[in-house]
Amino acid sequence: MARDPSRLELIRAGFTDIDRARSDLDRLGPEGPDLIAYLGKTADPDAALAGLCRLAEASTQDGRGDEAVRRMVGEVVDTVADDEGTAMRLLCVLGASQALTDHLVAHPEQWRELTDPTLGSTRAPAYALRSALLSVVGADPAEEVPVATVADGEACDALRVEYRRHLTRIAARDLSHDLGVDDAAAELADLAAGTLDAALAVARARVGPSHAEARLGVVAMGKCGGHELNYVSDVDVIFVHDGSAEVAVRLASQLIRICSDHTAEGTIWQVDAALRPEGKAGPLSRTLASHQGYYERWAETWEFQALLKARPIAGDLALGREFVAMTQPMVWSVADRDGFVDAARAMRRRVVDHIPAKDADRELKLGVGGLRDVEFAVQLLQLVHGRTDDRIRETATLSALAALTRYGYVGREDGEALHEAYAFLRQLEHRVQLSRLQRTHLLPGDEASLRRLGRSLGFFKSSADELERAWQHVRREVSRLHQKLFYRPLLTAVAQISTGEARLSPEAAEARMAALGYADPHSALRHLEVLTAGVSRTAQIQRALLPAMLQWFADGADPDGGLFGFRRISEALGQSPWYLGTLRDEGEVAERLAHLLASSRYCTDLLEREPAGVRLLGGDLRPLSSEQITEEMVATGTRQADGDKATRAIRAVRRRELLRIAAGDALGLTDVADVGYGLTRLTDATLEATLQVAMTSVAAARKLDAPPTAMAIVAMGRYGGFEVSYGSDADVMFVHAPLPGAEPEVASGFAKAVAEEVRRTLSASGPDPALVVDADLRPEGRQGALVRTLDSYAAYYSKWSMVWEAQALLRAEAVVGDPGLRERFTAMIDPLRYPADGLSEADIREIRRIKARVDNERLPRGADPALHLKLGRGGLADIEWTVQLLQLKHGAEVPGLRTTQTLAALAAAAGSGLIEPEDAEVLGEAWRMASRVRNALVLARGKPADQFPRAPLERRAVACILGYPIDHTGEVQNDYLRVTRHARAVVDRVFWD
Amino acid sequence: MGKQEDFVLRALEERDVRFVRLWFTDVLGFLKSVAVAPAELEGAFSEGIGFDGSAIEGFARVYEADMLALPDPSTFQILPWRSHEGPATARMFCDIVMPDGSTSYADPRNVLKRTLSKAADKGFTFYTHPEIEFYLFKSEPEKGKKPTPLDRSGYFDHTVHSFGSDFRREAITMLEAMGISVEFSHHEGGPGQQEIDLRYADALSTADNIMTFRTVIREVALAQGVWATFMPKPFTEHPGSGMHTHVSLFEGDQNAFYEAGAEYQLSKTARQFIAGILHHAGEISVVTNQWVNSYKRMMTGGEAPSYVCWGHNNRSAMVRVPMYKPNKGQSARIELRTIDSACNPYLAYAVILAAGMKGIEEDYELPPEAEDNVWALTERERRSLGIEPLPKNLNDAIHVAESSELLAETLGEQVFDFFLRNKRAEWDEYRGQVSAFERDRMLAVL
Repeated sequence: MARDPSRLELIRAGFTDIDRARSDLDRLGPEGPDLIAYLGKTADPDAALAGLCRLAEASTQDGRGDEAVRRMVGEVVDTVADDEGTAMRLLCVLGASQALTDHLVAHPEQWRELTDPTLGSTRAPAYALRSALLSVVGADPAEEVPVATVADGEACDALRVEYRRHLTRIAARDLSHDLGVDDAAAELADLAAGTLDAALAVARARVGPSHAEARLGVVAMGKCGGHELNYVSDVDVIFVHDGSAEVAVRLASQLIRICSDHTAEGTIWQVDAALRPEGKAGPLSRTLASHQGYYERWAETWEFQALLKARPIAGDLALGREFVAMTQPMVWSVADRDGFVDAARAMRRRVVDHIPAKDADRELKLGVGGLRDVEFAVQLLQLVHGRTDDRIRETATLSALAALTRYGYVGREDGEALHEAYAFLRQLEHRVQLSRLQRTHLLPGDEASLRRLGRSLGFFKSSADELERAWQHVRREVSRLHQKLFYRPLLTAVAQISTGEARLSPEAAEARMAALGYADPHSALRHLEVLTAGVSRTAQIQRALLPAMLQWFADGADPDGGLFGFRRISEALGQSPWYLGTLRDEGEVAERLAHLLASSRYCTDLLEREPAGVRLLGGDLRPLSSEQITEEMVATGTRQADGDKATRAIRAVRRRELLRIAAGDALGLTDVADVGYGLTRLTDATLEATLQVAMTSVAAARKLDAPPTAMAIVAMGRYGGFEVSYGSDADVMFVHAPLPGAEPEVASGFAKAVAEEVRRTLSASGPDPALVVDADLRPEGRQGALVRTLDSYAAYYSKWSMVWEAQALLRAEAVVGDPGLRERFTAMIDPLRYPADGLSEADIREIRRIKARVDNERLPRGADPALHLKLGRGGLADIEWTVQLLQLKHGAEVPGLRTTQTLAALAAAAGSGLIEPEDAEVLGEAWRMASRVRNALVLARGKPADQFPRAPLERRAVACILGYPIDHTGEVQNDYLRVTRHARAVVDRVFWD
Repeated sequence: MGKQEDFVLRALEERDVRFVRLWFTDVLGFLKSVAVAPAELEGAFSEGIGFDGSAIEGFARVYEADMLALPDPSTFQILPWRSHEGPATARMFCDIVMPDGSTSYADPRNVLKRTLSKAADKGFTFYTHPEIEFYLFKSEPEKGKKPTPLDRSGYFDHTVHSFGSDFRREAITMLEAMGISVEFSHHEGGPGQQEIDLRYADALSTADNIMTFRTVIREVALAQGVWATFMPKPFTEHPGSGMHTHVSLFEGDQNAFYEAGAEYQLSKTARQFIAGILHHAGEISVVTNQWVNSYKRMMTGGEAPSYVCWGHNNRSAMVRVPMYKPNKGQSARIELRTIDSACNPYLAYAVILAAGMKGIEEDYELPPEAEDNVWALTERERRSLGIEPLPKNLNDAIHVAESSELLAETLGEQVFDFFLRNKRAEWDEYRGQVSAFERDRMLAVL
């Protein structure tokens, strides 16, 4: 029946190049238009039609041109009259795969393969595939050790052609008969198995009669081993042999080349043996005993994970089976190995980290929400639970997922949703690869390809957009489910509510908690139970929130501590309307909270003192400026009726700012110098506000109209040097200057009372952390007066000053109180600390003598000098004394040295040639490292310490806060020791010589 | 618990083992042992056995430190000298770990493992083959008395019914019972001196084997009523006991030291490796020759080198490139002649590998070969040839080592510190000793 199809009809059928389609249809002759409806169901009607024309031309031997095409189409259409299946199979292949079209054009006789009606119903058995592939290379499939008899070059070509013949059949089944993606993958794996056997037969012929000196077994790994191969991917194998190693290696390497070499008929795929023991460095094949030796002694956790998929596939199957039987018990006991938790964590990290940034957003396999996410999660669950439950020891991802779901290791809804998502991603991956038979996991970005892929998956309208939308949805779904997969069944396990689905047993729940890094799974499950008990809205939100929280805790140094802290904070805040809502709706707050709770006791304490601090975590964690804080403290302080209340208000602001700085530090957002600076400024503000409040309240108590004297506070020691840590005392000196006309007695009595009031109110116990104000560095120490007038300081220093006092003044900074007084104080001490003619030999000797004594006496008994952060070898004191010596010697001539800060002085010393730049760098690095460790230690344990940590939990927490992987605590210590050893060498030269 | 652990537990049952000795090595190379009953072993496999980790710091311990010994089941052996009759004793080597599960940087075995794994990252495995010399004396040592050697025969002498050959037979039987292959044995140069060669193996196995070997030799000697010593130089007049070690690197199946057609069949990798060892020879000397006494072996010529140089079949060179048998590319190797029998084999092999790897990484140039007997050259000749002396005594060696980044990096900061602390203490104590030499020479005349 001849008719002329309208343009609209063609457009509806999905053609894009209408003129071309019309002319091609014209060439097909009168029956052509009958094919339009079939073409309209293919992935790419234009390509299918063009392919058909090419095929027709090629399949007619005598002819070129239109006559031949017509005859061929006549044949197709005749066939179609009886069997529309043939037309669909042929046209779908032509429409979906450029590479298979080329193959059919090169081997035109093969299109008739697709007329086979059994393709729609029957899967080719593995043995039939093997027989066919062996036969084309002239090997007898019935032989135990088949050897190819066809000449080598021909055999390789014939193998390729035969491989593609079967591949075409599988593709036709897949594209036009709705083959399940797992079935297609399994058939591809069978085809690979037969191909490897045939390639081995050719390899035997290449090696010659000596091939009999070795039995070679081929064990498939990865996707092929899992019976879930892609259209094009590397086939991962491990070789095992018995007999001559040399022959085995020759056979194996020939086998690899036969499959991967490019001949006139192209290539098949790469055979990759890199998963073998010792990877690429190891011998290509090993005996069973050698494999065993390796796996028992050397293998790493991930290698056992890989063995999960091992399956004998070609060559000597008995040997392969022995290999699998030997390795399986090791696979299923790997979860008990030391370091499994760390290894699993590292593997998970690696999955996330190894995405090449360039293609990340088009990756089907790697990347967030990709295939690898699902595969990894399923394997991890299998390793954890497969030891006691052999029902879940499936090799294929989808079968394993189904088993995990059926037996309650994964929630039913999660399992089903994940199943669907994985199947979609694999199907998409298959279709991407099928187009050009290329090994790729990238979804193309161009409209035409997306349209073709979309249509092949059944999106016939706005195909590209629909596909893109569906894919993004699946990605989000996978990453959402991935996180919950591990944790949700735990919640079901502890829930009292019956859901009707299989539940994790308490033992399995504990095993999982342990595998995720919880040291005390039993208590952890108790916390979960308490947090999620009941049917209240709170419990519901907790159930939604906890899977993610549990994961973040597990990434921290102390998952158990994190969960327990979360429980206490949740109990304290349970009813606050904003609390759970904030956690649920602001992902960052929840994540930050989880990290802090699992790594920092200091932050946990602050949060427990005032749980409302959780709110702060959503904002900017950089330290505020001192003006901002002072303003707020003074305002809130002066609003209060009496002094004690005022100080409490000031301390509350301080606590909040401490949390801000500590959180920023523990989360790695704030640099160590900024932490010291921020804490110093916070201390300034606290003292300033408290001083004002105290002066007012003392004046009121003494019935004075106004203070009789001006007061200032001078920061000393580490406080003066902008180097305070959490919980350090504030070293200070109090100075005052009676106002003109004031009675000296009254003024000094007043000043003393104010100083005492400041110290008392700030160190009193209360809900907020105390600030101990230490005035021991004042003249005459504890014997001296707490407060002196400026004149008294001047008199003292002019009369008594020792070199060590000048040294202490290097870090004096008059920062708090009356500005004029502060200026005069600074002017008074500058000539003392920066002596115009430097230091005398006697002074230098004296400083060295004191340092030697300090080194010897101040170190606590039993402390390891190498690991003491403050007084140890190359520690803070070593570096600071070195810098201070330079300051005393040269401060008068080099303005940059006139600073209280160690790093600034060090930079100035290097800049003016007083110390080699490399030496300055070494000292700076050690100073920063020691300061960071010291801060991290307070953050981790909640209270200050000067010794590098020994307790396991603290070591892990410090590693975590310093940004090391938490299982590398030895490395942190080694790095610390190295850096300080270098610093000590510099100190030896610069300070002591 | 894995298959190997199960194997060990089963063996304990079947062999009626009453005690398992858990072995580890302190920084100086002394074997330490914790005995546990089989019932405790299951726990030891999973959690380790706690002990005061300062035991590993050698003599100069300072602080107690909690550590765990984690037995390595692949090293399980029944001790043959305790199993003649009745219940048996077994041993396993341990890895030392911190209570938080991280490996201890203070553990010498871990130092070697770390260094091996760094080389493995570059694709190399390190094989070693030591020739261990030692002396046999007629009786236990007594303070202040010169020991009497067991016999008077010399190098390669064959004496019928010599006690030494009985001793060796017994020792070899026992070593083989412990899975240690012994390659060749002959009688060394001094009276009572013996040599037994261990077969080629990866460096970690070799180091474990050396530790076992020393124990076995002492046990066999005791059982036969004699005394064995690995002291580097027990007699002024007789040669010392070295531990010449043949080393090679493999890349996969290929010997990376071999290149057909090159000079002495030495590949570029081998030349760089030798250059690395020579370049860092002074720094690593304190580890390969760690005792005051070690340096007395190295000053008399003969088999022990005292200059930094290499040569082909030159027995006075520090590194010797032996003649290969034709077509034996896989056996290409170099021989290092400084090491003595009293070193800590874990540390010694680690620093040698690290020095060699440094040569490869930094592409060091190999200096020209020393063709003459360097002992016979004059000081000026040596200087003109650029041949440097090795440290002359322990103090010199310590001094060079203290500023060696290579040594600190390889040993790790902790072992580096412990080790040098021990050595300084040893030197200080030695310095104050008034010796027989001084008395003999001076009492009569001053």
